Amino acid sequence: MGDAAIERWSRQQSVLHRRDARAKIGALFAFLAAVSTTSPDSQIAFAGYALLLAAVIAAARLPFPGLLRRAALGLPFAAGFALLLWFSGERARALALLEKCYLSAAGALLLVATTPMPELLRALEILHLPRTVVLVIHFLYRYLFVISGQARRMRWAASSRGRLQFRSAAGALAVLFARSSARASGIYQAMLARGFSGQFPALAPPRWRAADAAFLIAAALASAAVRMAL
Amino acid sequence: MHIPDGFLSAPVWSAFDVLAPPALGIAARRAQRGLDERNVPLLGVMGAFVFAAQMINFPVGPGTSGHLVGAALLAIALGPAAASVVMASILAVQALVFQDGGILSLGANIFNMAIAGVLAGYLPYRLLARAHRSSAIFLAGALSVLASAAFALAELILSGVPVPRRVLLLSMGFFFAGALVEGGITLAAVRAMERLNPRWFRTPEETAFPAPGWIAAAALLLVAAGVLAASTYPDGIERLAAAHAPAWVHAPLAGYSFQGVEPPWLRRVLAAAAGLLLIYGACLWAGRLISRRSA
Repeated sequence: MGDAAIERWSRQQSVLHRRDARAKIGALFAFLAAVSTTSPDSQIAFAGYALLLAAVIAAARLPFPGLLRRAALGLPFAAGFALLLWFSGERARALALLEKCYLSAAGALLLVATTPMPELLRALEILHLPRTVVLVIHFLYRYLFVISGQARRMRWAASSRGRLQFRSAAGALAVLFARSSARASGIYQAMLARGFSGQFPALAPPRWRAADAAFLIAAALASAAVRMAL
Repeated sequence: MHIPDGFLSAPVWSAFDVLAPPALGIAARRAQRGLDERNVPLLGVMGAFVFAAQMINFPVGPGTSGHLVGAALLAIALGPAAASVVMASILAVQALVFQDGGILSLGANIFNMAIAGVLAGYLPYRLLARAHRSSAIFLAGALSVLASAAFALAELILSGVPVPRRVLLLSMGFFFAGALVEGGITLAAVRAMERLNPRWFRTPEETAFPAPGWIAAAALLLVAAGVLAASTYPDGIERLAAAHAPAWVHAPLAGYSFQGVEPPWLRRVLAAAAGLLLIYGACLWAGRLISRRSA
């Protein structure tokens, strides 16, 4: 998994990285809604969205190849349905499906590539996502790579001993569960010992500046303009 | 089956984006009540576990392999409310960090897997675990996958993704195979875990009630079947409504759209949201009534 890339990207510096996470979330929704409601026949509008995204990627000083490759991760799934559409004679819709899927994925990727996860979760909490859910996502993201690493090592070990049988795979799952559960209680004890009250203490609350409002309005207007005009 | 953005039409994704957050809020509140207030690390780490468990391949038949989906396993291990919260968190991280599933379609994905999938997995376990433990666990895994897949397929069809009859039958076949695999993996995993530590899974106690439970299970199955049937034969439903519904029911939802609102897609959004809200309210009200009577 090359997920260190997102962590690295999100900690760079740029105009876009400095914007408030709430502004970026709002801009993403405006963009996604515009893309989703665009008629499949207006190919030129999709080119317009691509140009918008390219401008934002350039402004965020993110590497094009890496970003574009990552956004394509969901395409195989879409390609199946696109083929179905293509062979039932709706070529424009087949093309539009792939384009919408790719543009939306690239847009979402831009949000996480310019916003560190803690900042993003803080913004979601301010936007009234239930606090339990925010905390669970926080811990999930934090321990995801640790436990995935453990699973990968177990898979290596098993495959070097020969083909994994169904029952031994179930055993591996159980051991992984036991280790995760032990780790969870260890984490919990350690956090209680340090005075965890069920809530992460917030550092300075995010400040909403004029530039954030300007960015949000510009992004929403640009998306709407492409949607209406092209 | 994570639906990416670009597949669902605006009425479908917006309706689910409106409905999923309150449902998730209810689950979050119940999960917090059932747990020590501060023990969220457990839920987060369990989410990471399911994520990592999906990397362990189970050989199924010649040359193919499956992996755990996990909704039923979580529901059995943590209870339905906490399992919903954990599944929703997994889906959010998959959409944000791994580009697996869309952002606008996150509401629909959460509904399919974290709400319908978890409930469809928990109810058979809750109702049958004392009498037939193994088959209850198997059924939990199988039904949770089946319910999620049925809803996802229905949403795609409702969004106008054309699914020819032959492809529909084929995908149903895949769903059933997938359901059997998930049932088998869930059962094998729970058994192996119980050998390590029998205290992880408590068999639910026989409390007085199961009536609302049975009704909920039946309702879920009916809704899943109904949604699938409705999306396969939309004309049939409209004809039925035209023939039998009194005028006041029919008028505001005519053709699933609101009159007098300008852009047609917005009309359909409003109609879809209103319809779902009505059903939601009716279920809530019926549930209240039944639980009061049985108490």
